[in-house]
Amino acid sequence: MIKARGLSPGRAEGEAVVCDQYISPLGEISNEGIIASGPCEGREISGKVMIFKGGRGSTVGSYVFIQLREKGKAPAGMINEIGDQMIVTGAIISEIPMVDSVPLDIFISGDHVSVDGTAGSVEIRNVEEREVATAYITREDKILVMKRSESAPTYPGSFGGVSGYVEKGEKPVEAALREVGEETSLKDVNILNVGKEVLVRYQNILFKITPVLMKTSSDEIKLNYENSAFFWMTREELNSIKTVLKFKETYDLLVGRKP
Amino acid sequence: MYLTREEESIYDGNQGEAKKIAIRLLVALGELGGAERLIPIKSAHISGVSYKNIGDGGIQFLKKISDRVSVPTTLNPLGFDIENGGPVDIDENFRKKQMEIIHLYLNMGIRESFTCTPYYFYSEPQFGDHLAWAESSAIIYVNSLIGARTNRESGPSALASAIIGKTPDHGLHRTENRRPQIIINVSVPLDYTGFASLGLYLGPLLRNRIPLIRVQGRPKDMELKALSAALSATSSLPMFHVEGITPESNLPVESGEKVEVGTEIIKETMAKNTSSTEPEVIAIGCPHLSPEEIEYIANLVKGKKKVGPDLLLFTSREVRERESKAVEIIEEFGGKVLADTCMVVSPLSSKYKSTGTNSGKASFYLPMKGYGNQKVSFMGILDLLRWVIS
Repeated sequence: MIKARGLSPGRAEGEAVVCDQYISPLGEISNEGIIASGPCEGREISGKVMIFKGGRGSTVGSYVFIQLREKGKAPAGMINEIGDQMIVTGAIISEIPMVDSVPLDIFISGDHVSVDGTAGSVEIRNVEEREVATAYITREDKILVMKRSESAPTYPGSFGGVSGYVEKGEKPVEAALREVGEETSLKDVNILNVGKEVLVRYQNILFKITPVLMKTSSDEIKLNYENSAFFWMTREELNSIKTVLKFKETYDLLVGRKP
Repeated sequence: MYLTREEESIYDGNQGEAKKIAIRLLVALGELGGAERLIPIKSAHISGVSYKNIGDGGIQFLKKISDRVSVPTTLNPLGFDIENGGPVDIDENFRKKQMEIIHLYLNMGIRESFTCTPYYFYSEPQFGDHLAWAESSAIIYVNSLIGARTNRESGPSALASAIIGKTPDHGLHRTENRRPQIIINVSVPLDYTGFASLGLYLGPLLRNRIPLIRVQGRPKDMELKALSAALSATSSLPMFHVEGITPESNLPVESGEKVEVGTEIIKETMAKNTSSTEPEVIAIGCPHLSPEEIEYIANLVKGKKKVGPDLLLFTSREVRERESKAVEIIEEFGGKVLADTCMVVSPLSSKYKSTGTNSGKASFYLPMKGYGNQKVSFMGILDLLRWVIS
C-alpha cells in the first residue's frame, strides 16, 4: 500500500491509464471519455484509473467529469501528482475517488490499481512491495558510492548507496545500520537525517526506500560480495555516473540542496 | 481545518443535503489549499451557466445542491439573449435545457445578471472584500483593479460558497500570496487591443506567477479589462499589478526576474492571432461592454449607415438599459446590442465562419476546433469599424 493524500472520498479499482501530462478537461477530454491531446491522445478513460500530472485550463472543466458520469463514461478513479481546485471539484461532485501526492513514474499503463480517496492510499495489485533502507554515508564533502556487483538481482553494475531490505521486526534505520556493517564494516557512523520514503518501480517490484543520511570520519572500508568497488565522490562527480533510480534527487533532498 | 460548531452541524447534514454537499466541497478544497478555516464572503459569482458547458450531468448536480444562497450572487452569460433572441438561432431542445438551468439558479435566489462583468452595477466589490467568484476574467479584474480578494473558483465551488456564505481562507485571500513574483517592463504605449495582445503574450509565459507590470502612461480601466481577459484565458493567473496604478502594486516583489516587452512582441502577437479573411461579423464586448465603451462606439457610428458585415455588441442588461440612448444610436446605424450572451458562449458558428474582434480572449477561444470554429481577425476597434462604416 502506498500512502497518498485523499482528495475525493470512496474506493475504486481498475486498469491504469498513465498520462505524463497536465490536462484541461474542457477541450482535452471528449464527451465519450477519450483524451484528445498530448502523450495519451486517443486513450479511453471510462472505467479506468486515470493517472496524470494535474489539471489546467478553464474552471468549467469540473463539469466535464459530471457529464462523463451522467453518460457512464467517467473514470473509475483518479490519481494526480498535484491535485488542483478544478480537477478535485470535478472528482467530488462526480463522486470519483481521487488522491494526489503520488509520483507518476511508479505506474505503468495496464497496471491493476486501486484508489482509496477516503483513507488516502493507492495500491498497485500486480507489483510486490519491498521495504528498503539506503544509507548515504558522507565524509567531509564526499559521498560514499558503491558499485553493485554484476550478479546483483536488481540494477547490476549500477552505482548506489549502501542498501538492503528491511527485515521483519526491524526499523528502517536499524536496517540501514546493519547494512552499513555488512557492506562496509564501518564502525563510527552517526545518523544526521532520515528522509521521506522514496518510491521506485523496478519491473514488477515497488521499492519503498527509506533514505538515511550518515556521517563518518573513517575510510577503512571492507567490501562484501554485494558490491564490486566503492568510491568517495563529490556531488558534482555523481552527475557523470550511472546511478540507481532517484539516487541523486534523494541525496539532494536529504541534505536540503536545491536542484 | 477548524470548523465552528455551526459549520460542523452543516457538515454532519443537520441542515439538509444541499448544504452538506456544499460545505463538504469547501472543506475538501480548503484542505487542498492549506486553509485553516472558512471566512465569510461579501458576494459570489457563478460560472457554468451554458447548457453546452454543463450538460445533463450539470443539471442533476444543480438539483442536488439546490438551496437558497446566503450572499448576493450573480450569474455568467449564456448562449443567447433571453428576451430579444440572437445572436444566432437556437435549437429548441437546447433552449429548453438552458431555461431549466436558469430556473434552477433563480430559484436559489441568484440574480438575473447573465454577465461576465458583474462589477458594473450588479455587485460592486470594495477593496479588501473577500469573495468567491468564478469567471476567470472577472476574478483577475476584481483582484487586480479593485483589491477585492477571490481565488479562481469553479462554478460548483463558487455556488457552494454562495450557499454557505463562506470560502476557505487560503491563496489570494491571504496578503502573502498576492505579492508580485516577476517584473514586466512594457516600453511601448498600448491601446485597448494592445493591452489584449500583451495579455495573450504574457499568459503562457507567466503561467501562475503574478507580475508587476510597468506601462507607459495611465491606462484606462477598460484597457486593463482587456488585459485581464486575455491574460486569464491563457494562464491560471488570478491577479496582476500595474505599477503606480493598481491598489496593491506597492507589495514587495519576490524575485528580481524581469521581462522586456516592446513594439515587436505586441505586433507579432496581434499577427499570430489574426487571419487575413474578411469577417462576416464584427463582435465587440468580450468582456461585456461598460457604459463608457458603448457611448464611445455610439459616437463613432452616429448618423452613419452600416455596410458590410454584421455588427454585434455584447453587454449586460443593466448597462443596456442605462445606456438606452447610445443603444438607440447604434441600432439606428444598423448594429445590434445584445445582453445575457457573447460571441464566445453563443453557438456563433451556426451562422458565421469568420469573426472580427478587438478582444484577446475571444481571439483565443473562437478559433478552437469544436468550440468556436471561427477564422478570427484580431484588431483595434477603429480598424474593425472600418469594415462597417462606409
